Amino acid sequence: MKNILSISSLSIGYDKNNVLSNISVDVDKPKLITLIGRNGQGKSTLLKTLTGLIPAINGEIFFGEKINKELSHKEKSKLFSVVLTSPPAINNITVKDFVAYGRYPYTNWLAVKKEEDNWQINQAMELCGITNFAATNIANLSDGERQKVALARAIAQNTPIIFLDEPTSHLDLVNQSELFDLLHQLVEKQQKTIIISSHQLNLALNYADEIWLISNGELEANTPDFFMKSGKIEALFGGLKLKYF
Amino acid sequence: MADLALGSVHIPLASIVDILLGNEAEKESWNIILLSSRLPRALAAILAGSALAVSGLQMQTLFRNPLAGPYILGISSGAGLGVAVFIMGFSVLGISLSSSVWFANYGIVISAILGAVLVLLLLMAAIAKLKDIMTVLILGIMIGSIATAFISILEYFSQEDSLKSFVLWTMGDLSSVAPASLKMLFCIVMIGLVAAFAISKQLNAYLLGEDYAQSLGTNVNVTRYLVILVTALLAGSITAFCGPIGFVGIITPHIARMFLKSANHFYLVPLCVLLGINIMLLADIIAQLPGSDKTFPINAVTSLIGIPFIFWIIFRNKKIAALN
Repeated sequence: MKNILSISSLSIGYDKNNVLSNISVDVDKPKLITLIGRNGQGKSTLLKTLTGLIPAINGEIFFGEKINKELSHKEKSKLFSVVLTSPPAINNITVKDFVAYGRYPYTNWLAVKKEEDNWQINQAMELCGITNFAATNIANLSDGERQKVALARAIAQNTPIIFLDEPTSHLDLVNQSELFDLLHQLVEKQQKTIIISSHQLNLALNYADEIWLISNGELEANTPDFFMKSGKIEALFGGLKLKYF
Repeated sequence: MADLALGSVHIPLASIVDILLGNEAEKESWNIILLSSRLPRALAAILAGSALAVSGLQMQTLFRNPLAGPYILGISSGAGLGVAVFIMGFSVLGISLSSSVWFANYGIVISAILGAVLVLLLLMAAIAKLKDIMTVLILGIMIGSIATAFISILEYFSQEDSLKSFVLWTMGDLSSVAPASLKMLFCIVMIGLVAAFAISKQLNAYLLGEDYAQSLGTNVNVTRYLVILVTALLAGSITAFCGPIGFVGIITPHIARMFLKSANHFYLVPLCVLLGINIMLLADIIAQLPGSDKTFPINAVTSLIGIPFIFWIIFRNKKIAALN
């Protein structure tokens, strides 16, 4: 069976300035992958390169049998959804209409929603716990609520792969662990592959099936167990004494 | 209807209805005034209002700027330069435009659209290089100034009669649209409006920001060029036929957003068409104040009612409605 995602000899960065080089990693089955690394190490750059928003400097990215750069925008939008750290530019819109953007790849030129679309939208809002303010304007939400709305939009897109760039940064501890729990369930029940960057080490190590650790311009992929035992995470964060639960 | 009723010659409403229904009027002259002067003028107002409002909306979305409009970004100046080159440039080369009415009419429209497209392409090239929207806006204003400067040079060197026909164009009003060219204008505006509506989905996605629009399957570059084409078609052709008409393109989208409390282009585009028509007709009515023999230049009227209206919105809401 073909890998869901296959990265070979990938170099990424902006304007020929390599941030990360020679990344080679395969994702063979649906799993929750957490990207860990200090600020400025290239987590966002990697996610943006994988989603095709910035070009790779070198190397190839395969989704199944297809090369990333040969996929059209339309094909990509049905293959993966993405939530970036920068908030969407739009403000004057209700929560439900915003989540409905997730159905854009599937609707016709008039953006007419079918039964399936409405079901996906309601389901996504339900999962993220935002059904109560479906009719609220997103400008009136808190940062944390807005992050849940952004996630709901990505879930409504119903793609096999979801990329999330620090989706927990504005959430309190309870919401953070609820979010990781939700992502875990999406992997288990809906066979999604989710790649998420986060600074929440404890949650990441607890929930993730795999960790991609970025340090010193290199990416290392392995299980949370491996990293906990090897002491590499402590090394990365400068000898901080971390407690895992 | 009110627009048809007003003018230097008083015609009763009942007679207007009669004439429109194809019946004989009490006076033959009424018939002629209505059908060959006031009706085309009203139709021109309808086309201009809808086209300018929608092109203003498209520009505001494209540039994410509430002050954007065909005027402020120098697109109308570009159209003006196109017409100036056409009218005065040809006379410098010794080609007379009066030899062919067809050539003169269509040439003005085509050159205005070319001028508008040229300015828009310059702006798009600037956007590709500069990410900052305010810089692009300033560039648009500067491009407009350059176009105006070229127009001045052409004016300085051109013959008296071609200079006059150009100045007349810049003051040109809704009544300057001949019934024959009205048909062509109608076709162009309809194509532009339908195209504007057809790209609503892409524009809605564009409101999210370029990265998100792309991740939802929208080709951002194609969308940009479509917006350019539509705007050049709408604003360029209206400017060509009716001369520069300000502010309708800027205020109408804001009023539409205020009514809708939403930035959904599927509703904004039709609403802008409706509101644009009404605002333009109102401006035209004011331009022909009852009982007066002369009409005001339509451009002055739209600015005179447009600017206080913007003030009123700002002071009432303390701000304008969010753009997206």
